[in-house]
Amino acid sequence: MTEKQQQQAERASMLGVIERLAGELALAEEPARFIAALEGEDEAPPRA
Amino acid sequence: MRRLPVLEESLAAVAESIRAGKLSPVEAVERCLQRARKWDGRIRAFITLDEEGALRSARLLEAEAAAGRWRGPLNGVPVGFKDLCHLEGLPTSCGTLMPEYFTSAQACTAARRLLEAGAVSLGKLNMTELALGAFGDNAHHGDADNPWRAGHATGGSSSGSGAGVAAGFFAGAVGSDTGGSIRLPAACCGVVGLKPTYGRVSRAGAMVLSWSMDHLGPLAWTARDVALMLQVMAGRDAADATASRRAVPDYLASIDRGIKDVRVGLPENYFFQAVEAEMADGVRQAARQLQVLGARVVEMRLPDPQHMTDVAMLIARAESSTLHARLLREQPEALQPAVRARLELGMDISAYDYLQALRLRAKLTRAFIRDVFEEVDVLLTPVIPEPAPAWASLKAATVEEFNARSGRFSRLTRPFNGYGLPALSVPCGFTTAGLPMAFQAVGRPFDEGLLLKLGHAYQEATGWHLRRPSL
Repeated sequence: MTEKQQQQAERASMLGVIERLAGELALAEEPARFIAALEGEDEAPPRA
Repeated sequence: MRRLPVLEESLAAVAESIRAGKLSPVEAVERCLQRARKWDGRIRAFITLDEEGALRSARLLEAEAAAGRWRGPLNGVPVGFKDLCHLEGLPTSCGTLMPEYFTSAQACTAARRLLEAGAVSLGKLNMTELALGAFGDNAHHGDADNPWRAGHATGGSSSGSGAGVAAGFFAGAVGSDTGGSIRLPAACCGVVGLKPTYGRVSRAGAMVLSWSMDHLGPLAWTARDVALMLQVMAGRDAADATASRRAVPDYLASIDRGIKDVRVGLPENYFFQAVEAEMADGVRQAARQLQVLGARVVEMRLPDPQHMTDVAMLIARAESSTLHARLLREQPEALQPAVRARLELGMDISAYDYLQALRLRAKLTRAFIRDVFEEVDVLLTPVIPEPAPAWASLKAATVEEFNARSGRFSRLTRPFNGYGLPALSVPCGFTTAGLPMAFQAVGRPFDEGLLLKLGHAYQEATGWHLRRPSL
């Protein structure tokens, strides 16, 4: 495998992990909840 | 290396000597300038050494002191700023040869606060081009060289910040950290570096690499020094919407209180994998020392940090490519090949993947804080998987190899940019080859005070911070 191919494979693997994990996100999950988590103001969003 | 009799060259000691009238601001600046003139040809910590400006400021401080005016706790203390902090009157290169791309109407808030507290700027410091890279290479301004061993990397991207403190060119420095860029040079150069909680220190007036991952923080010889600097730098700022409105605690008030019964977690997964044995042993030895000091050390399994590494990498790539798209479009040939390659990687990340990563970041952070900090108060990990590599081995690599190695070098620091948690790099000895080793202490959001207390207790007990490189 060339370095370029290796790089592409790593990228595909990274995107694959994110795709798999994102499948488990609640609809109410949104980026702003990151700040809320740091500030101790956030509970997990409802699953619906 | 030579050993100092006392902590006389720490930032806190310099500040105290000036306050006590044993050292004048001009003497302090002159002493630093002499070292920089003598050694910066090798170390290459500076991009802009502002001798005239530093001496002018020091003289002004002396005149003010004679008139009974004292600016603050850092009165007369020489410091340096990574060359992505905008300062009035000096160009900002961001490690490129194109400062015209990086003008700003706004001075860096963190830098301004340090200067208002009496610190004297010696100038702008070397860095990896656009802060993209873990080793401290810079084809335009020269590769920063490790003060502990010639021909070795300093770590990056805040290369001049780490190397300049270690070389005695200034007592403290400001760096930025998007994937480890404060902690990596701190670890490679044997000084303390703090990436604060996301939002603890304003990023206003500093070049953005990634809105979501950037942090500014201090580097200096000791945890006490870093506490002094953070005290001044931290706090709300109307110029940065992400700066937290939380009150800033008095870090120095509790720094001497010890770490009895502090629960310290040593990760069983991820952080000791693919780490050189000597480095891993050094960190485990530091954990034993913390135990001697009263901490309760336990081994624990973490929610897989690789997930956050992937998420943080994707977000940083997408944002940095967006931010520097104009530069990449208009002057690609002016960028180093490795930097250009990294920017190009981010250009084809879809909005879908980017937004999923941002959503995942929130979920992973919530879970990590809940699962880890129910069990322990501090996590202890290595900072770097190997000691500072030789420039010769890095330069022999292809662009792809170089960037892959850079990614591996920052894999222990990057997750905490994603989680936004405070992370302190503390020197914990030297390898058999004489290169610094370090541990990373990670705490709850906004719990920098506990990390500084732990770092201080460790340094007081071990004395690694009293050693200095023989230049």
